[in-house]
Amino acid sequence: MNSFVRLLRAEWTKFRSVRRWVITAVAAAVVSAVASTAFATLSSTDANDYPNYIDQFHFVHQSMAGDGSVVARVASLSAGNDGARAGLMVKQQAVSGSPYAAVYVAPAHGVRLESNFGAATSGGAGGAPTWLRLTRTGSAIAADESADGTVWTRVGVVPMDRLPTTVEIGLFVSSPTESVMEQQFGSTHRESTPTLATATFDHVALTPRSTADWRSDDIVMAPVQSEPTQPGSMTESDGTVTVAGSGDITYVVIGDDDVVLTALDGLLLGLVMVVVLAVLTISSELRRGLIRTTFTASPRRGRALLAKAVVVAAVSFVVGLVGALASYGLARPQLARNGFAAPNYPVLSLTDPTMLRVVVGAGLLLALVGVLGVALGALLRRGAAAITLMLLVFLLPTVFDTALPLDVARWIGRSTPVAGLAILQTRSLWNTATTPWAGLGVLAAYATVVLVLAVWRIRRRDA
Amino acid sequence: MLPSVAAMPHAIEVRELRKCYGRTTAVDGLSFTVHSGRVTGFVGPNGAGKSTTMRIILGLDRPERGQALIGGTPYRALRNPLRQVGALLDANAVHPGRSGRNHLLWLARSNGLPTARVDEVIEQVGLGSAGRRRAGGYSLGMLQRLGIAAALLGNPGVLILDEPVNGLDPEGVRWIRGRLRSLAEQGRAVLVSSHLMAELEDTADHLVVIGRGRLLADTPVAQLIASASSARLTLRTTHRAQAMAALARAGAVVAATGGDTLTIDGIPAERVTSVLAEQAVPFSELTAHRASLEEAYLELTRAATDYRAQEVR
Repeated sequence: MNSFVRLLRAEWTKFRSVRRWVITAVAAAVVSAVASTAFATLSSTDANDYPNYIDQFHFVHQSMAGDGSVVARVASLSAGNDGARAGLMVKQQAVSGSPYAAVYVAPAHGVRLESNFGAATSGGAGGAPTWLRLTRTGSAIAADESADGTVWTRVGVVPMDRLPTTVEIGLFVSSPTESVMEQQFGSTHRESTPTLATATFDHVALTPRSTADWRSDDIVMAPVQSEPTQPGSMTESDGTVTVAGSGDITYVVIGDDDVVLTALDGLLLGLVMVVVLAVLTISSELRRGLIRTTFTASPRRGRALLAKAVVVAAVSFVVGLVGALASYGLARPQLARNGFAAPNYPVLSLTDPTMLRVVVGAGLLLALVGVLGVALGALLRRGAAAITLMLLVFLLPTVFDTALPLDVARWIGRSTPVAGLAILQTRSLWNTATTPWAGLGVLAAYATVVLVLAVWRIRRRDA
Repeated sequence: MLPSVAAMPHAIEVRELRKCYGRTTAVDGLSFTVHSGRVTGFVGPNGAGKSTTMRIILGLDRPERGQALIGGTPYRALRNPLRQVGALLDANAVHPGRSGRNHLLWLARSNGLPTARVDEVIEQVGLGSAGRRRAGGYSLGMLQRLGIAAALLGNPGVLILDEPVNGLDPEGVRWIRGRLRSLAEQGRAVLVSSHLMAELEDTADHLVVIGRGRLLADTPVAQLIASASSARLTLRTTHRAQAMAALARAGAVVAATGGDTLTIDGIPAERVTSVLAEQAVPFSELTAHRASLEEAYLELTRAATDYRAQEVR
């Protein structure tokens, strides 16, 4: 039999024959699940009480009965930002959230047709100036674009069921709010700056012809849901209509919690227990001189330490895997009852690729924590010192995360061993420090380096 | 099962070993050889460097100079060392939460030894059903037996035991002495250390004596005793003057010591009896003064013993 396999069997025998360690490993998984469930009962959200859209812009419109169309050339679009839009819109009513279809140009992606906060259909890639046309035929809205107002190209057709006979039709301009999250000494602060875009339209024409006046309205949401906007405006001279508008028209997910991460909150306690367990497996040998027996049985010390690290990693992997499965299985339904449900917090099944990554990742995370614990215990030779250092590294950033300036918190979150926790995240949020696998990679790098140092040290020094 | 290195003439070879801990020299220029088939006692006062030497032999500590070989190979180069060398350094070096049997089991696993061997050695050392209890509850005697069992696990040809009788009750001491003798008789090399010569008196065939890290003697037990024993004889006779005259003529240095006793130096006992017989001098008793091993050892180490011995580890 391969000599390393022998060492693995020896280290496994060592581990399983100390009942306290086995109990600790089982308890780590159980405590993770129980704590996750307890934390879940304390977490709730009202995210689903809010609409899943932002619908704010400046609308220059008229009422139109039955079929018809609007044509205009967007001559220019200036100021605002990359998300600014200028174009044509059919809207059931001139209020936020009302069904709509719109064709527009945007600096970021040219001509687009979209309706009801859904996916957009792209047209030509060019920006202003461009001719646009929006036509209602029963419950179908067709959009066309043209470079010269003569030769038209179809952008797309969207159905709008249950559209009443009379709708609002006209020109719109929007420009999204720019937000920066700031974090300082425990409080997070969202700094939002409204932007204003100005577009000029000419060759504006309605079919059938209308003699009514254009109405110029800021479409805004109730204050609790809205983002700040600037007042828009409309001026007309010599057939050129200048419209200024602020706001955005888009689907939004409400709430900035990573509910999977919330469901696995208790895993941090399991991690603490794995730290203690991993360090003890090596420090107990060092303290009692048992390490000499180990090294007389296996004079190749590096391999002996490696075998121990592998066994602790395997045990910790199972703890993480079971702990994550049980946590999610128990805590997620509880969170769903507390408001974390679709549409803003859809419940992912365990077979979802993201959940598979999280659950296997939890195992890998604890496995690497185990390796780091064994390595640090061997390197420092003092259990208390190694445990203290490990807990400082993993718990301090978690506890003081929100107290630090965002840049510092994010640096810690992607450059220190705690980056490994990123493997559990399922959303990229404003304070996300790193990506899941990159974060786990950072932890793996730390574990490897400390293990190499530990092997180097135990091979050199007297046992 | 025969030990694997039974035929090895130089089971353990220690060459020019030097080891310092900081500014303390633990072992200095130490050389000796341990042969198979006999018990070699490794003696010296506490702090003399016995444990250091044993740790170096077992590849645990690195010497500054020199080397230690097991059957010609450095310990660290052995692939399944438990099959060649069994060692007991510190009987307390067990995890208290692990049973004695499991302690032996992981050792067996590490060297590819069969599980059956674990139960065999448990029986051999008389640990019996205690093997399945947590080692934390063992008496020192039971821990020593467990340590011996661990050393015997791989049925090695070389055994290295550091103070195996330390703290044992008389029954345990007798048991270990018996084991050591029988292990040597099976052809194994047995190196056993002690700071008390008396512990080895009836056990060791050969002695390596060290003091303050240096070799003081490397000699068969019988020879050490003989060298330490003076050739002085005590004679009890009622005819003192006659005896003194006759023995002085035969070349002896004679001194009167008490009412009817003389001490005689310079001629062997056989010569004394023949001289007295020739001269028809009656005597009632002639005794040779034989040194005990302990006296011989004390004589040897007196100079080397550092009474305020720096605690070396």
